[in-house]
Amino acid sequence: MPELPQGRPDGPPPFLGTWRRVYIAILIYLGLLIGAFYLFTRAYR
Amino acid sequence: MRPLDWFVLVTSLVSIVAYGLYRSRGSNTVDRYLLAGRSMPWYAMALSIMATQASAITFISTTGQSYVDGMRFVQFYFGLPIAMVIICATAVPIFHRARVYTAYEYLEQRFDGKTRALASLIFLCQRGLSAGLTIYAPALVLSVILGWPEHLTTFLMGATVVTYTVLGGIKAVTWSDVQQMCIIFLGLAVSLVTVIVLLPKSVSFGDAVYLAGAAGRLNAVTTTFNWNDRFNIWSGLFGGTFLFLSYFGCDQSQVQRYLTGRSVTESRLGLLFNAMAKIPMQFFILFIGAMVFVFYLFVQPPLLFQRTELARIETGSEYHAVSETYLQAFEQRRQAALALVDAHHQRDSSAVERQIAGYHAAQRSLDQARVEAARLVERSGGEKGFSDTNYIFLSFVTRYLPAGIVGLVIAVIFAATMSASSGEINSLATVTIVDLYRRHIRRGRSDHHYLLASRWATLFWGVYAVLFAGWGKRLGPLIVAVNVIGSLFYGSLLGCFVLAFGFRRVKGTATFVGMLAGEAAIFWAFFFTGISWLWYNLLGCAVVVGMALAITYLAPAGGAPAAPATAGTPQPQ
Repeated sequence: MPELPQGRPDGPPPFLGTWRRVYIAILIYLGLLIGAFYLFTRAYR
Repeated sequence: MRPLDWFVLVTSLVSIVAYGLYRSRGSNTVDRYLLAGRSMPWYAMALSIMATQASAITFISTTGQSYVDGMRFVQFYFGLPIAMVIICATAVPIFHRARVYTAYEYLEQRFDGKTRALASLIFLCQRGLSAGLTIYAPALVLSVILGWPEHLTTFLMGATVVTYTVLGGIKAVTWSDVQQMCIIFLGLAVSLVTVIVLLPKSVSFGDAVYLAGAAGRLNAVTTTFNWNDRFNIWSGLFGGTFLFLSYFGCDQSQVQRYLTGRSVTESRLGLLFNAMAKIPMQFFILFIGAMVFVFYLFVQPPLLFQRTELARIETGSEYHAVSETYLQAFEQRRQAALALVDAHHQRDSSAVERQIAGYHAAQRSLDQARVEAARLVERSGGEKGFSDTNYIFLSFVTRYLPAGIVGLVIAVIFAATMSASSGEINSLATVTIVDLYRRHIRRGRSDHHYLLASRWATLFWGVYAVLFAGWGKRLGPLIVAVNVIGSLFYGSLLGCFVLAFGFRRVKGTATFVGMLAGEAAIFWAFFFTGISWLWYNLLGCAVVVGMALAITYLAPAGGAPAAPATAGTPQPQ
């Protein structure tokens, strides 16, 4: 069973420039989603 | 099912399998068979990761959960984006650089052989148990819809999945997943539109949402903290994060998906797509369940959605009294719902409050009648703790959806089962061959030998999953059962990887002992406390890390140095 070849080197993301910015964007998105769900719950309870 | 339904179902399934096998040409080495030669684009990985996680259980059980308990189950997924970000920043580049076939192979590079073996066995136990449940779900569907025996359905499903997984390896699995997710998205959209169209003419979409909310079915966020409450924002954010860290970081059925990526970037993009898409998708599925609830405000639902058990109690002397109560409660609820909509339109707040009180009272009477019916099932020799939650959505589909769409929804259930099951079988076979067979039983054989062994292992786990499928009926709502099983094992695995990535001084023996202590703590919590299962991952992980750190720093002799890597386990670069 051969060793696996070395993968391609890590590169930048295709948007937002750095991975750190992408991760922050994802967490902001999560916060907005929870906020929207909270308002949805409040509006229809 | 009508001829058009059969046509849609058969066409969908045949095209999925044929496309998967077509795209898997050339899987003639172990690397290509198990990791697709590390050639997969991010979008294929993204949909495959999503498809592997979204089993038929997701559609059958989640909609039922929403019908009886509202949408609060969506909070379970709040930890997923956080977990994805952590995994992208830590595990993905480490696994890629380590050039491993499995997550547990890395543990030998970092710790020692016994830690790798223990982690592999924990994975095989956990994933092996849930593999049966994954196939059981559609057997349940067809036994209700078509009257087929469950074991026949299980066999047909299992045979299809095993065939393309054995022949095509992970490429067939991944490309089939892509197509399966497309059918799933289509089926979900059509289901929601159809249920809204089926509402009475006098009830608009806005009215339907209002009625679902007034009945407590749109409770997407609950902020009250309770250790024993399974679904609230806190258990979702904290417990959920640990569960998804375990699932996507330590479970080979998911790790293997993103190890097939062309690069670290492609793997990260595949995971982050899930971080963004999963919660809206679950919200959408739960919303369908809430709309089915509203539909049944105006069309009388059966006393029990499980036909067989309903037929069993119909002959009993107590049935008519329960049925009569149920009928009255339904009529009261229907009248109250219509009156509530009127009061809402007139913006009469005192009338709204009065009608909501009547609406809730009627709902309680209806629920009580269903509880009585469930007791009748138990008393007449049915299963203990009877629940028909898993039958609600499919009962609705087969009774009320038009020809063609029923076939499409059934195809969604099949597609989801096939994608989840093939991923599980494929990963179970990979761990069996790479971490146990190649490491401990037959070392240094040819690539062709291990390729053949991988195919046999895939066949073995497929047969095993089919045989264990019958076990599922003994558990409650299926979506919960799957996650409970996972939570019994994931915490220890997560603790092991946290130590591997974050605590360089901790060695193999300390980690090994910590994992055993973590498992003991989780099983203690399961059997002797009322702590909700979402917290087991956090508990197990904390015990593993705490115990390993205590051994390392308080009894340094226990933290023996890591064993040197063996042949076939390359060093990290």
